[in-house]
Amino acid sequence: MATTRAILVDITKCIGCRSCEQACKQIHGFPMGSEMKLSPTALTVVEERSDRFVRRMCMHCQDPACASACLVGALKKTAAGPVTYDASKCIGCRYCLVACPFSVPRYEWTKLVPYVTKCDMCAGRQAKGQPPACVEACPVQASIAGNREEILEEAQRRILGDSKYVKHIYGSEEAGGTSVFFISDVPFEKLGFAAAQKQPLPLLTASALGDGPTVILVGGAVLSGLYWITQRRAEVALAEAREKSARERS
Amino acid sequence: MTATERTATRKIATRFPKISFWRTIVTLIFAAGLYSMYARFALGFQATTNLTDPQPWGLWVGLGTLCGVGLSAGGFAIAASVYLLGFERYRPILRTSVLISFLGYCTVCVGMMYELGIPWRIWHPIVMWNRRSVLFEVSWCVILYTTVLALEFSPALVEKIPWARVREAYLRWHHSILIALVLAGTLLSSMHQSFLGGLYLITKGRLDPLWYTPYLTTMFYLSAIPAGLALTIMAIYLCVRSLNARVDMNILSDVSRVIAPLLAIYGVFRAVDLINRDAIQYLWMWREETGLFWLEIALLVIAPLVLLNLEKVRNNPQNLYWTCAVIVMGFMTNRLNVSITGLQASSGIYYVPKWTEFAATLATIAAAVVAFRYAVIYLDILPKNPPQQRVMALSAPGNA
Repeated sequence: MATTRAILVDITKCIGCRSCEQACKQIHGFPMGSEMKLSPTALTVVEERSDRFVRRMCMHCQDPACASACLVGALKKTAAGPVTYDASKCIGCRYCLVACPFSVPRYEWTKLVPYVTKCDMCAGRQAKGQPPACVEACPVQASIAGNREEILEEAQRRILGDSKYVKHIYGSEEAGGTSVFFISDVPFEKLGFAAAQKQPLPLLTASALGDGPTVILVGGAVLSGLYWITQRRAEVALAEAREKSARERS
Repeated sequence: MTATERTATRKIATRFPKISFWRTIVTLIFAAGLYSMYARFALGFQATTNLTDPQPWGLWVGLGTLCGVGLSAGGFAIAASVYLLGFERYRPILRTSVLISFLGYCTVCVGMMYELGIPWRIWHPIVMWNRRSVLFEVSWCVILYTTVLALEFSPALVEKIPWARVREAYLRWHHSILIALVLAGTLLSSMHQSFLGGLYLITKGRLDPLWYTPYLTTMFYLSAIPAGLALTIMAIYLCVRSLNARVDMNILSDVSRVIAPLLAIYGVFRAVDLINRDAIQYLWMWREETGLFWLEIALLVIAPLVLLNLEKVRNNPQNLYWTCAVIVMGFMTNRLNVSITGLQASSGIYYVPKWTEFAATLATIAAAVVAFRYAVIYLDILPKNPPQQRVMALSAPGNA
């Protein structure tokens, strides 16, 4: 996974120009008006929190809860890093919305054939060697893209090199690690970042699913055994009754 | 049943003013349900529901699916008791309990059509697999177990076929696979009940600590069986009261004697789990979640355990009926707490279902109730009292 792509957002550098929002809307062909919250037509937004500009977008987890939740496998973590969505598979169960620890996926509630929407880190552009549209549009390099290892090293270098930074890279361990990282000079909880679990969320359901085969094998064996006992008892009772009546007759 | 008997049964049924009252209610529910159906499929989610991105699952999942499946647990419990464990005394209510489960699963399948954004792709999980998804396993359990229930119940319909050859051939085939069916049904149903709880394992950190536990699967399983049995008792009581069915009420008392320890075990599990997770502090906080938690525990565990301990409740069918109603209410509170109340705080919005959400679910349930009623009237589900004073030797229904 050496070529896994990632994005680093340096909140201290963001000037709130919303070029990333606009670039995103442009390449997706969405209406250009700025939106306050993530929506089916705003896959990234810049929010103002504690005098800082905070960009929201899909975190592209290393082991995404949405991808494990999706029963038809419409959501996938690609080897290149982005978590992609195949609309042709989606049945609209919305378990991905329930599962996402960052409340990122959006649903087209107003449509008659609704789909899930979320950022795909411009997987198509990245495959062609281009950076994500939002990163390319950033005039001050508050968002940068690159290989995940290098991006993490860069983030590390910045927060160690300057005392103003909070000594944590948001995304390095949240939900077991993501492919979008944030560094900031204001504590993340003040910026509206979710206090996500440190472990990959699919592990939580994997243990329950792992019990399935055991339940079938052990349960099946126990029930078959009980059935055998039931049958045997009935046979014995029948034989005893026959013997008894034979004795009485003789 | 001969034609004259049938008319007589119907006459008795229609003589009750109660029934016509209920008919009005059912008609109103169906009318509202028809509008909801139109709104859901012609206008979409936004016109029908109050669902939003922070609350993507609402009443249709909480009540329609979680309660629908949970309350259908009676079928596998009674079938396993009779066929696998040899508790022959439950045989007279076997068909009824299988019918309730089958209709319950039918309501869940119909509910899915409302619930899914793109319902005509409901078959996708059959060919598109994701073995890591709890919902994938749930969907397969629904498909397989609904099939098993349909097969388990099929003799009640097949035995009405006028061609003896076909009938006997089918019943013979059915008899040969019956034990395998019951065994598969028990396993599938057990997994299914558990996995519904497993769906919420992924909401760690967001589902309220009063409900989030790594043992959500166990909790769902342990609560479904007593609740499913309680619903079975209620249905049979109503058949006796309104549909002229003849059932030895001692059977219902026997079932209630099983429900009580099951609820006690569930209560102990909940208590031990809360202590182990250090969640006791949440029990005394002044907030809506805690209030609804206590409502749930009072209805599902405390009140039924007290009531079922009383001789005059266990041995009086009407009291038993109302006690079972309390259990079912408690069970529904639990499922709605897990799916809605417990996630409210972290989602940051307050979800109240739109009336069309209620109407759609109620109409689906009402349809199942009506189907149940006609099945009991026209099929041999339960033995019936002779309509006139004439004494008849009614045979018990055969194998379910």
